[in-house]
Amino acid sequence: MSMPELVRVTIDEKDVHVAKGTGLVETALSAGIEIPVFCYEPRLGAPIGACRMCLVEIEGMPKLQAGCTLTAQDGMVVRTARTSSKAAEGQNATLEFILVNHPLDCPVCDKGGECPLQDLTFRYGPGKTRMNFEKTTFEKPIPISPAISLDRERCILCYRCTRFSEAVSEDGQLVARNRGAMSVITTFEDEPYSGPFTGNVTELCPVGALLPTQYRFEARPWEIVDVPTVCGMCPVGCNTHATVREGKVKRVISRNHPEIDEGWLCDKGRFAFTHLRAADRVVEPIHRVRRRGFEPVSWPEALDVAESLLKAADGRAVVALSGSETVEEAYALAKLMRQGLGSHHAVLPEEVSAGLDAYRLPLSAIGDAQTVVVLGDVPLNESAPIVDLWVRAARRKGATIVQTADDPAVSSTERVVLIWSGPGGRGGARVGELAERLGLAGKDGCGAFYIPATPNGRGVADAWAACSDEEPAREPDSIGLLVVSGDEAAGNPNVRALAERAEAVIVISMFHGLAAGWADLVLPGTSYLERDGTYVNLEGRLQRLRQTATPPGPTELEWISQLAARFHVEIPPYASAVFAELSKRCYGGLSFGEVGERAPLRGYVEAPVHVEVPPVPEPAEEPPSGTGLHLVAYKPLFSGPAVERVPELQFQRPQAEIELSPDDARTRGIANGDRVVVSAGGVSVELRARVSKDLRAGVARVALEHSGGLLGNVEVAPAGAGVTA
Amino acid sequence: MSLVTEIQEIAAQYPQSRSAIMPALHLAQKKYGWLPREAFEEVGEALGLTPAYCMSVASFYDMYHLEPVGTHIVEVCTNISCALVGAQATLEAFERELGIRPGETTADGEVTLRTVECYGGCGWGPVVAVDQRYHEPVKPEDVPRLVQDLRNA
Repeated sequence: MSMPELVRVTIDEKDVHVAKGTGLVETALSAGIEIPVFCYEPRLGAPIGACRMCLVEIEGMPKLQAGCTLTAQDGMVVRTARTSSKAAEGQNATLEFILVNHPLDCPVCDKGGECPLQDLTFRYGPGKTRMNFEKTTFEKPIPISPAISLDRERCILCYRCTRFSEAVSEDGQLVARNRGAMSVITTFEDEPYSGPFTGNVTELCPVGALLPTQYRFEARPWEIVDVPTVCGMCPVGCNTHATVREGKVKRVISRNHPEIDEGWLCDKGRFAFTHLRAADRVVEPIHRVRRRGFEPVSWPEALDVAESLLKAADGRAVVALSGSETVEEAYALAKLMRQGLGSHHAVLPEEVSAGLDAYRLPLSAIGDAQTVVVLGDVPLNESAPIVDLWVRAARRKGATIVQTADDPAVSSTERVVLIWSGPGGRGGARVGELAERLGLAGKDGCGAFYIPATPNGRGVADAWAACSDEEPAREPDSIGLLVVSGDEAAGNPNVRALAERAEAVIVISMFHGLAAGWADLVLPGTSYLERDGTYVNLEGRLQRLRQTATPPGPTELEWISQLAARFHVEIPPYASAVFAELSKRCYGGLSFGEVGERAPLRGYVEAPVHVEVPPVPEPAEEPPSGTGLHLVAYKPLFSGPAVERVPELQFQRPQAEIELSPDDARTRGIANGDRVVVSAGGVSVELRARVSKDLRAGVARVALEHSGGLLGNVEVAPAGAGVTA
Repeated sequence: MSLVTEIQEIAAQYPQSRSAIMPALHLAQKKYGWLPREAFEEVGEALGLTPAYCMSVASFYDMYHLEPVGTHIVEVCTNISCALVGAQATLEAFERELGIRPGETTADGEVTLRTVECYGGCGWGPVVAVDQRYHEPVKPEDVPRLVQDLRNA
């Protein structure tokens, strides 16, 4: 690449050299000078100069200019409020104007203490007010959704939220109504602001107008600690801060990792944390006693029971992993089972493969791609929402988004990225093969992604492989003991089928709803927000999780360590020490501290041969299937044990509807919103039809919970028709 | 022809279909008399836009009605030029004559009275538009006759 042309800009009598076209706000920053802003936010697209906070004086221009809308030009002489009384006066007047109708209710505002309007008024604003008349009042707070409340009195009309809705999430739901001073932020009629990304507007809002309802009156900024961690709700692994007050998580906010999330979070990652306080949380071990049923037991008693169950299994124990364990926890469990008990067999909810390791890229590379091939029919915003934002960003920058690698765009462009989002990808092996066939290896800006179902499946599989040099044993002929590790496994019907065949079952789960009734011993599980350790995300990036909240009992690592000691297996109860041990085998001896707050994407050439942890076997019984449309039943973003326990997310649960391509809808005489009957092999379910332009012909799509158990090929017909034929 | 089809025909004349939003909103308003929820849903469907976006655009302009209006609309300009030559007195004359305040509709649903910003007749104020037809200048003493004409129309 050629060097960008450098220009000299003088800001407050300081000379800086920046690339031509650099925004004035960034140019000033490079000289260590602040140009204050409210509406300016480069992630939202081109600047709009709405708030006028950034006024600066520029030599040769008669009036003050909105600095955020200008770019560096050679010889430009800029004066900010520091050296220009005119600019200082202008900014002061801007703030006085912004505050005309602002309620100044900072003492009871959740934003108070971390509010840009407060901060900039303190630094640049008037110390007193000349407004001695009544301020404009509005009904407040307005719930624009169950998760977000809007206080119109506090709004300064910077349009950050509406620009996010229009130009980032592209949902077009949050808009301004009316004109000028009468403008208000609103959704359409009484519809809630819905979609995967709505919560981001609460972070973008530079005042206390858009706030998360969960955080309302929960904490003051001087009582909280923001603990850096990563989200464990999906395989993206967005970097987050958990805001903690007195050992409890009060909110989750973004912690911009430019290569992963660019500072955006999905609503599941942001709002689902209250599942930690679910009413049916398992807080003590439960033991099934013959004839007496289930009773709570102490931890030492529970470990006694676990010990005898493990001994009785005599090497015939099987572990059903969730793929949400930390690498350390999976390693500890593997060490106990494999070295202590000679039980080598474990299953995961999905297949894991190392087939993509030669095609690793940061997610941000999607945004820079010229062609993005999205394979598979599971919508990205349901499986890995941030990936969907990167694809949208690529499209806005002119990339071609295609659904097949045979598209001419693939061979005619330089930077090609493949994304596999759907069933049948064999853990990434198939998209890896495709990348090889297209010759993407080692080509700048080219690579491939696979969207796994679990947040840390790869890390868990690597850890399981790393703790023993022995060949992985096949599934024992009879299962003496099934250890169900975590809620994803506990909620998996195939794991339940496996449990039917086991002589005894231990379930590690957070919720009674998942663990009750089928386990001989239930051990309380913890959430990703309650553990220390590491996760490997879908890029193959090793990231650090921190214990942000205090769990109701010991963490998995702590009690596994104690249980292992009974079998003379030494496992330290600290993630750092376990990592030190496994890192030599998995991660080239990387130290825990080196994992980093904003982890880089590393390659691990010294990793041992990757041993597969197979997926949990499918039940022998085939689901009903016919001819007609191919039905894709996907796991929606807003589903699963955590989401089910968060009241503020219930309105986001998927509708009972089936998506059809425009072609398939037309040939069947189905219009958007019609009732349709979906059937195969004598099983049928009635749903509402939604015609989706982005769906391929021949494919129908439905959220798993509304699929009625159908899969494969189905007939779709208007409800109340077709019987006579 | 359905509203959606009609709008799509207009949209085809623009390089980008969203550019057709203004005529599309006019068509919808012609169909419903004002712009109810369904109007925005239909315009949105026809142009591939969200109803919220269509509502946002409509709310910016005075000529789109987001609330039901009477059979006739009387619009009095109260912007600076008209205000300087007595628009307020003209407006108050309409209020007296019709028995309603600006933004309201007479009980029989016949006449809506509104104030508007500049209609571009600054040399001949106060400007009053009755059902889109300009009358200028309109003094308070002209108001009873205008209202009478309207009632008789």
